[in-house]
Amino acid sequence: MTTFNLPDLGEGLPEAEIVAWHVAEGDSIKTDDPLVSVETAKAVVEVPSPYSGIISKLHAAAGDIVATGAPLVEFADAEDGAVAEPVAVSENAATVVGNMPTGSEVVEDNAIAGGSRRRRQGRIKATPSVRTEAKRLGVDLAEVPATGKNGQITAADLRRYRSSASRAKLARPATIAARSETLRGPRRAMAQSMAAHRDEVALCTLFDDADINEWLNKRDFTARILRATAAGCAAEPGLNGFFNAESMSRQTEARVDIAMAVDTEDGLIVPVVRNVAEMSLEQIRDAVAAVKQATLDRSIAPQDMLNYTITVSNFGMLAGRYATPLMVPPTVAILGTGKLQHDVVAVMGGIEVHRRIPLSLSFDHRCVTGGEAARFLAAVINDLEKPQ
Amino acid sequence: MTTLCVTVTPVVDIMAEVSLIDALTMALAWELEHDSSVVVLGEDVGVNGGVFRATAGLQSRFGSDRVQDTPLAEGMIAGVSIGLAAQGMRPVAEIQFMGFIYPTVDQIVNHASRLRNRTRGRLSCPMVLRAPYGGGIHAPEHHSESTEAMFAHMPGLRVVIPSSPARAYGLLLAAIRDPDPVVFLEPKRVYRLNKQNVEDNGKALPLDVCYILRQGTDVTVVTWGAMTFETLKAADQLAKNGVSCEVIDLATISPIDYETVLESVEKTGRLVIAHEAARTCGVGAEIAAIVAEKGMYDLHGPIRRITGYDVVMPLFRREMDYMPSVSKITDTIRAALDD
Amino acid sequence: METIADFEIQYSQFLNPEGKPSTDVPALAKDVDKLLDMYRHMTETRVFDTKAVNLQRTGKLGTYASCLGHEATHIGLAAAMQEEDVLAPSYREYGAMFYRGVSMAEILLYWGGDERGSDFAGPRNDFPFCVPIATQCLHAAGAAMAFQLRNEARCAVSVNGDGGTSEGAFYEAMNIAGARKLPVVFMVVNNKWAISLPIEMQTATQTLAQKAVAAGIPGIQVDGNDVIAVRHWVERALARARKGEGATLVEAVTYRLSDHTTADDASRYRKKDEVEAAWEFEPLIRLRQYLNDLGVWDERKEAALLEESAAKVDAAVQTYLNTPKPTVESMFDYMYRELPEFLEEQRDHAVRYGNSGGGHHG
Repeated sequence: MTTFNLPDLGEGLPEAEIVAWHVAEGDSIKTDDPLVSVETAKAVVEVPSPYSGIISKLHAAAGDIVATGAPLVEFADAEDGAVAEPVAVSENAATVVGNMPTGSEVVEDNAIAGGSRRRRQGRIKATPSVRTEAKRLGVDLAEVPATGKNGQITAADLRRYRSSASRAKLARPATIAARSETLRGPRRAMAQSMAAHRDEVALCTLFDDADINEWLNKRDFTARILRATAAGCAAEPGLNGFFNAESMSRQTEARVDIAMAVDTEDGLIVPVVRNVAEMSLEQIRDAVAAVKQATLDRSIAPQDMLNYTITVSNFGMLAGRYATPLMVPPTVAILGTGKLQHDVVAVMGGIEVHRRIPLSLSFDHRCVTGGEAARFLAAVINDLEKPQ
Repeated sequence: MTTLCVTVTPVVDIMAEVSLIDALTMALAWELEHDSSVVVLGEDVGVNGGVFRATAGLQSRFGSDRVQDTPLAEGMIAGVSIGLAAQGMRPVAEIQFMGFIYPTVDQIVNHASRLRNRTRGRLSCPMVLRAPYGGGIHAPEHHSESTEAMFAHMPGLRVVIPSSPARAYGLLLAAIRDPDPVVFLEPKRVYRLNKQNVEDNGKALPLDVCYILRQGTDVTVVTWGAMTFETLKAADQLAKNGVSCEVIDLATISPIDYETVLESVEKTGRLVIAHEAARTCGVGAEIAAIVAEKGMYDLHGPIRRITGYDVVMPLFRREMDYMPSVSKITDTIRAALDD
Repeated sequence: METIADFEIQYSQFLNPEGKPSTDVPALAKDVDKLLDMYRHMTETRVFDTKAVNLQRTGKLGTYASCLGHEATHIGLAAAMQEEDVLAPSYREYGAMFYRGVSMAEILLYWGGDERGSDFAGPRNDFPFCVPIATQCLHAAGAAMAFQLRNEARCAVSVNGDGGTSEGAFYEAMNIAGARKLPVVFMVVNNKWAISLPIEMQTATQTLAQKAVAAGIPGIQVDGNDVIAVRHWVERALARARKGEGATLVEAVTYRLSDHTTADDASRYRKKDEVEAAWEFEPLIRLRQYLNDLGVWDERKEAALLEESAAKVDAAVQTYLNTPKPTVESMFDYMYRELPEFLEEQRDHAVRYGNSGGGHHG
């Protein structure tokens, strides 16, 4: 049983009306014999038989309208069959060529012309290569500060973020199984960031001492250091900020966010105390206490260790008066405090013993001058030497 | 020079369910009625109403001077149109198939696109050159061309491709009213594919602007012409898998509305371009270059194109293998999302 | 077999090379004012042309196509036209364009590489120079169709050379003009040479006028060095067209006394004695002789005319040389009526790198 459907009679006409059948059910017919006359919107068309065989069923009667592609007639035992693709049966004096799909489905389209033509702000900008690298490193780009000229996160930004963030990873040190130990975690990060520092920074360190003999309250050491650092930043903002070697630009910050290097059994971590310049000594003290607590109970979060503008390092807890501490680029300064000692000092022709804090101010001489560093340190010392 | 009065006859707005080809006829009729400087000319456009019936009924309505059956010479059709346009008429010329448009290239490129510039604006060329384009109707050789990039490359031309009855109506009106030459390519495969309610109100749609057909957040897909259908089908399929595609119809192929595309890529981070025309130096290449230049920091991965191959369009037994299919498009979009 | 169609091409000359009128001269030949007017224009054009070639040879003008020897065809043509008609030239018809109000400075600006030369202050609707050969014939046909559609009593005239009659556009234009009875005159200036191809190799037809037969329009051949014949027959053709009787092809036979352009060296392909012989037939001599014989011209007047022409040409040259370069941004500002958004960035770029305005020609 072969069904012959009403072919496309050209021009994509959707339907035709049966005018007259030239066969009846049961008749036999040969290929190309006249089968049926149909009328389209344009003309009456003679449809020849595509097959030889017996007509087993006519699917429509004279006067019926048949849709293009709908069954027209059934052949029993059809020969000379298959036409692979539907081809226009009659030229119909229609000058269009080929076979056009026709439909009468009514569609909506709610096209919006032109979009809103406003570029959004606050989207993360980064090249595909940076994005891929971030994914590989497991870094969320939303956390990474962008220094690219077009607001994009550069590959260097990603590197910097990663080396500062990985210093904060609380990885357990590997057990020593053999004589050589592969560096992991914070130690590994330290090796990497120190190498980066060596390659980039023009390190210069200024040494001096602050005489704290007049301090009324002998505790509060950390809070005083932080306040003094903020005082230094107020005097010389150039040490509170970032340097971008690629673009040869620097960015000084008004806000003072101080990273405090803290040595723990799990390695060095550097939590940040934020907005120190706006705080009173009590507030600084409370902030420091909170940070210390969070550090001890490991509740310190990665973002608490990012985006600082200057670092303070109390390296001299046990030993060491002066040092050349290394800041992490892109920051440009780090203030180190050495071991508190009682020193013999000359006072107005006599000798006294005063407690003093040794200070080591390292700065990136690519963008901070010696004079700026000196003025910074003078302001630090000035604040530290106040009784309270 | 005589100034022509443009008569505005109050017309009862008719909302009709029309196919793309009918929408073109509607637009031509509207403009012939309301602007006496409009002249339609081409082979078989008059008595026969055009081989696709795009101009059906127009000659009996507007006469054989305003809807002219021309002798068989495409270069002549273009050159006469330029002469008409330079002297104050608005010719809408038809080239029967894009495969026969190449003899017009001398006139269109050497004159139509340059007349205003050549004379510092003293003369200009407000003409429209219409042609059915694209494959998929089982047509003989040369009847399936998609070489819009050739014209898009020429400064001084506009190239416009509608993809729906409503846009065909509005964009053709805009093209006729534009003071500069427009090559208006009509995707013949979708001439009668479906219908839309189009109000015959003489309102033009803006040129030089993309149309967002479907809003989405995961990937931007730019396309035009008949490919919008396959692309929207691909988007529907992908939506079932949770992928949200934003589909943009370029509509004006030249000059391209980059801002809409860039804004979309900023949102989605991924771009796929689908066009029927051959790959190399197709208009997709230009879009990719612009987005690579101005949208690089929004991209999450490479820009991808799914296009016709760099071969002559095969005769119709294989033409559907040449053109981007729904599955080719969905696969390309998926690949873009994997990057 | 029976002959079902044949054709006949007529030839006309009213002034022979010695300036002697034929027996059937038209009234125009007695109209001294018109003759003197045309003679002045022809002389002026020649003086201009000589100067333009010199400018090119001294590095002050780009490539230039000399019209030496074509003066009668060009001025006869333009003098026959009405002001409201439209001319679609090729790139050599300075005499016709000057007659119609294009300035000498504008022509120099064009060949001097400045589009402002095509922004004619005079005939605002005439087409600019057309370099792609014979494509202007279709523009004239289209213009004629515009006039016809608007029922205006205006005609279009295109001019092309013998080489152009081999182009498809030429036939296509005549064909549509015939089919639709367009009010257009196709002027074919047969100067015997298409760069290096002589007319004998250009086509097998005996005349170019008979190419009109293929389009079903009348074609006539005239002596292109006889300004009276040129003007007379173009006037007839235009009158015919204006009455709605359709198009005509007028073939004006002359000789290209110069190289094709200043970038061409015709001595490479044609013989000196052929050129020398052609000088005997050139148009100024015979009209001057005729005017002398009529008693309305003499050497004193000739000298005065040459001086006047030289002054006019010099003034135009000065205007041209003193015209500063167009602005960089002008290459953007006429691409479309409104500058599309995407071009703004490119325009800014060009302006940043280019210089706006300053600097003289060169």
